[in-house]
Amino acid sequence: MGVGLKRLLMGGAVAAMATGALAQDRPQIIVVNQALELMAEALVGEAADVVFPVPEGVDPSFWRPSISDISEIQGADLILLNGAGFATWIDRVTLPRARVVNTSAALEDQFIVTQSITHSHGEGEEHSHEGLASYLWLDPTLAVAQADAIAAALVLRGIAEAEDLETALDAFTADLTALDAQTATALEGAGDVQIIATHPRYEYFARRYGLNIASLEWDAGAMPTDAELDGLAAMAADTGATVLIWEATPPAEAFAATEGLGLANVVFDPLAFNSDAGSYVDAVGRAVDDLANALN
Amino acid sequence: MRGFAFAAALVVAPMGAAAHGLIVFASADCEAVTVEAKFSNGRVAQQGEVRILDGDNMLLTTLELAEDGTAVLPLADVDHEGGLVVEVDTGGHDNYWIVTPDDIARGCEG
Repeated sequence: MGVGLKRLLMGGAVAAMATGALAQDRPQIIVVNQALELMAEALVGEAADVVFPVPEGVDPSFWRPSISDISEIQGADLILLNGAGFATWIDRVTLPRARVVNTSAALEDQFIVTQSITHSHGEGEEHSHEGLASYLWLDPTLAVAQADAIAAALVLRGIAEAEDLETALDAFTADLTALDAQTATALEGAGDVQIIATHPRYEYFARRYGLNIASLEWDAGAMPTDAELDGLAAMAADTGATVLIWEATPPAEAFAATEGLGLANVVFDPLAFNSDAGSYVDAVGRAVDDLANALN
Repeated sequence: MRGFAFAAALVVAPMGAAAHGLIVFASADCEAVTVEAKFSNGRVAQQGEVRILDGDNMLLTTLELAEDGTAVLPLADVDHEGGLVVEVDTGGHDNYWIVTPDDIARGCEG
């Protein structure tokens, strides 16, 4: 159990708050990505409805909600943000701050800083804006910290019973701790192999397990253009990469084209988009198995 | 309303989440929606087009940013019952802010 939840469980008022909430309709929890949806569902069970409002196929980082979407979100009992710059829409609306929780607020010293888009203003000089890698949850130890923050928020707002949450959080933490150990074993020594990803999603995963992952900027699940394949070929030649990670399964012709470049294809759903990924442990575990096989 | 909305944005917005290039903010009271636009380096956006849309993305009206980076839309000028989307385009950058019916209603409280 995390420190945040332990602290809250020591408060005597918590149980009474939870009981009061459960006597009403099920509370609604809004999340900004699928990883948070899976974490919240694992923790809250039937005590609340977890809603990930971004349609399938839409990148939740850049989703543009409608007015009615925001009206629904403003009425939610809890809004779980990822932090680290994930979900640009949250900076374009008014959210009820008493019901908003940034699940990575305690992790800011572990953020990875990146350089983002390079451009110019009119005839001005080219420059780039600094950004943050935001797929924190792909490091299971950071996902555990996010889950701890979610659990603490659920207790504080009386959305779920504290005892149930303690059990659920302990189970979730044990599963991710085991996954972390299995992943470290499966990918031991893989830092010697250069990997390419079709999109920059895996910074925290790579840091956790000592991997070298260079990134392209391809659309998820799309057939790459000839120019993109040429760029991949150049990057593979330059780096000596032998493995290509896709964030979503592309057309079969795409796999054939990249295999023709000497790359082994691995699909690793980063659990951001709305999809049928299953549980966090199942989804990441499958990807790790496939990646380990490709590296070997 | 304006104070609340600004405070909320400051609290919930991670530092890295600043919109790329242009930051747009809009607040409502009972009389008007006030739009403010500045670049992420803090510089005021001194010119740009402000587009006001309804919930179906239908264009209701357009305004021009003043030199101080603001524009004021009198609520009486548009049908705001279903909320408003405020888009600002400076030529090189664009961004938006969503004003819900509840945002407008809160602006009339007190």
